[in-house]
Amino acid sequence: MTIKNWCSLLLLLLNYVVVAQVDTITRLQTVYVADNTLKKFSNSQRVFVLNDSIIAKNQLSLTSLLNFNSPIYFKENGLGMVSSPSFRGTTAQQTAVIWNGININSQLNGQTDFNVISTSNYNTIAVRSGGGSVIYGSSAIGGSVHLNNELEFKNQFKNEIQINFGSFKTRIFNYKLLLSTAKLTTDFSLSRVSSTNDYPYLDTDLNNQNGAFYNTSFNLNFGYKINNCNQLKIYNQIFESNRNLSGTLATDSKSNYKDFNTRTLLEWIALYNKFTSVLKFAYLSEQYRYYEDKDYFVFSDGKAENFISRYDLSYKVNSKITFNSILDYTKTIGLGTNISQNQRNVFSSLLLMKHQIVPQILYEIGVRKEITSTYNSPVLYSLGIKFKPFSWYSFRVNGSKNFRIPTFNDLYWQGLGNSSLQPEIANQVELGHDFLYKGCSLSITAFVINIDDMIQWSPNSSGVWSPKNVKNVLSKGIETSLGYEKKYKKHTLFLNSNYSFTASEDQVLKKQLIYVPFHKVTFAASYSYKNVGLFYQFLFNGKVFTSSDNEYNLKNYKLSNVGVDFKFGTIQSIKITFQINNILNQNYQNVAVRPMPGRNFNLITNFKF
Amino acid sequence: MNIFKKSLLILSIATFAISCSDDTNTVNPTPLGAYENGVLILNQGGFQKNNAGLSYLSNDLNTFQNNIFALVNPTITLGDTGQDVGFNDNLVYVVLNGSNKIQIANRFTLQNIATIATGLTNPRYITFYNGKGYVTCWGNAANTTDDYVAVLNLTTNVVSSTIPVAEGPERILQNNGKLYVAHKGGYGYGNTISVINTTTNAVSATITVGDVPESMRVVGQTLYVLCSGRPSFAIPQTAGQLNKVDLLGNAVASSITFAATTVHPSNLDVFNDELYYTVAENIFKTPIASTTLPTTPLFSTTPQGVYGIYSFEVENNKIYVGDAGNYSDNGKVYVYSLSGTLQNTRTVGIIPAGFYFN
Repeated sequence: MTIKNWCSLLLLLLNYVVVAQVDTITRLQTVYVADNTLKKFSNSQRVFVLNDSIIAKNQLSLTSLLNFNSPIYFKENGLGMVSSPSFRGTTAQQTAVIWNGININSQLNGQTDFNVISTSNYNTIAVRSGGGSVIYGSSAIGGSVHLNNELEFKNQFKNEIQINFGSFKTRIFNYKLLLSTAKLTTDFSLSRVSSTNDYPYLDTDLNNQNGAFYNTSFNLNFGYKINNCNQLKIYNQIFESNRNLSGTLATDSKSNYKDFNTRTLLEWIALYNKFTSVLKFAYLSEQYRYYEDKDYFVFSDGKAENFISRYDLSYKVNSKITFNSILDYTKTIGLGTNISQNQRNVFSSLLLMKHQIVPQILYEIGVRKEITSTYNSPVLYSLGIKFKPFSWYSFRVNGSKNFRIPTFNDLYWQGLGNSSLQPEIANQVELGHDFLYKGCSLSITAFVINIDDMIQWSPNSSGVWSPKNVKNVLSKGIETSLGYEKKYKKHTLFLNSNYSFTASEDQVLKKQLIYVPFHKVTFAASYSYKNVGLFYQFLFNGKVFTSSDNEYNLKNYKLSNVGVDFKFGTIQSIKITFQINNILNQNYQNVAVRPMPGRNFNLITNFKF
Repeated sequence: MNIFKKSLLILSIATFAISCSDDTNTVNPTPLGAYENGVLILNQGGFQKNNAGLSYLSNDLNTFQNNIFALVNPTITLGDTGQDVGFNDNLVYVVLNGSNKIQIANRFTLQNIATIATGLTNPRYITFYNGKGYVTCWGNAANTTDDYVAVLNLTTNVVSSTIPVAEGPERILQNNGKLYVAHKGGYGYGNTISVINTTTNAVSATITVGDVPESMRVVGQTLYVLCSGRPSFAIPQTAGQLNKVDLLGNAVASSITFAATTVHPSNLDVFNDELYYTVAENIFKTPIASTTLPTTPLFSTTPQGVYGIYSFEVENNKIYVGDAGNYSDNGKVYVYSLSGTLQNTRTVGIIPAGFYFN
């Protein structure tokens, strides 16, 4: 039986379908990117990259993009509201979001709200499964999501305008400009998303009465090639979001939440023979304002600023061995209505090494140690091996120790915070098989994560809540991904499916963690012929428990989206896409009593010139 | 091809294991028909979780049922964040803070009758007098000047008027046609009792008591007010107090302050001329006339693993204790004899918040 037949058989056998496992190495460009360790030191872990055509199908937010294209489970307090991930059965604070190599999880609550990240401002969005604290620091336990802008020095001038009209007065406008020469490069984008978001709650006479939102994202990136050895790059992002927060099936809401985030990164890259030296300075600020009653002036707020200085030196001993050392000093200042002004200084040093022993065998090692007065920092490490006996098969194994540091809220919440909190520690192992043959790919990864000293807010005997390092969770699971890509004359077929099984158990209660489904399936299929394309997306989220005694749960649900697109022109082009989301009008919730929208429509017009 | 086969095998096993782990369905019990001669237990439910509920435990402790409102009225959701329950004539009124409504049902059959969903913003506690209901309401919680007592017309089930009061009105009780409202404080910390004249529907007097008046009882012409004091996370923290208010003069006649600022009592009740209250997981008792406070508890609920008493009532020669546990899972109710012997344990709904004897 040939491999091709096996692939077909697998496709037939497995009624769940699909993954877009795309080999990282082939997808990532050879240009220097700010997050260069993602490519260099992720050989023994699964990284999959979501390209433009996938991103284009789920533009509303990073939540919808990853929901339909990754094993990550999302809890959304209604469409567009606060959204938090569960990756490999971990908590929202155990997934790191990395913007051009910089960890942007909130310093206040430790997580990223995936509905305040727009998807259209990046060249690639990548998902790296498993431990990554050695490279990316706190929170990279379940995995990390990477938002990358790639600045290339070549002659180009590209404009792109995209306008979406969707149900519930959802409007998305996006403009992108790419202007570069061999010496200078500019990448500009502006996007605006708005929606009255007043979708009906299915099977009731209610609707989402306080769900309107808008957000604006402004990105301006520059690169300057001083000479063949030296480059300067600067990345800037300003993001503003204003959301009314939806109520529930039982409660009306009047509240409103405003986010304002800025991110700036300056890089000086020096490329010598065997050395690559990168000096980075970054400034991140995050700010929120919460109005319990949007028509009343009283609000609570919080703000945090991050000042990062980093020196990254890599040394390529020969074609087989590469060393990389990074020194980082990060100063964080946080304050707000509920936290007094506090400061944290963390000095980190890390060393990475990659060694291709023979063409078939590669291993990589990483060690990180942080020095800070705020918590006891353990030595973090990772060790991975990739064995590729055949061109179509590789085996990988990776073990690592990772952490999640306490947040400013955990440490300094007025009267409740616990300043003696220690980091959560995760020891984890994974092994995977990757097959790639003639456009057919299969990836199977089994993982075990043991998380100790997890921070849990719980009441004391007077009903006063405070955080402690008490919880211990063991998460085990399998992630599989199956993909097929075929081009034949003017036909293009693309199939992709993910299935994940996750058993994430509280070791004291011996119960599954809340909001972690045992099963999640995604499937995507697209087919195009000449200038006409069709696509289908499917999502199955298994039952989740909503209480830690597992007495209460939310039932599973299946979602299907379909779309058709027409493209006119080649270099200068217009593409029109019509999309129906939740075509089967499924009434579903991924957070209890917060219904999500039924069938809805979206018309996308894209101009390239 | 071995690796392929192995992978396939692993995959099939995984799929199989998954399909085998389906859970079993439990059969729903049938309504008892009469929920009298027992106690209704209000399970508050989680804030914004829409899972408030009622449980029933008979006075002989032999009959028990959870989720009784839902059983009788399968098409109606009780609502979000149950705050209080009141009885008037043949009716039971359930105040739902998160849903901003009051659900009215027959107090014995629990058959749903009506909903009052207008005019109640952040409703807290309810009492009745002379054909009217009185409901304390915070209004907009962020606004310290819009708090009120809603007056319910019990014939039409509408809010007929409102009485503006100071911030954070919580418990309300009626005595001799006067209403006493404890201002525990909304997002802040209160220290007053408002006296409302039900003829004029206006505040006729304000009595300053200790910080955070949490619970009240009237015996004769004395209003006993238990103040929790400002909690550990407040700046500054203050000690609890027991205030005895002379209702003829509307003034504090005597006060006893708890020994330490870290002691925050709650759940005052009176039974057989004894005052009962709780501090964390301990239950205290003292004669009603006593001028000092006991230093040792009557008994502790620690053997039952209670980690802070959430709700408490002394009735029918028994002590009822509600344990909210971690506030997100089902809670427990323990029934003790007056000397503290455990008589009954029940698993109820989420956050057992009050006992209402029917």
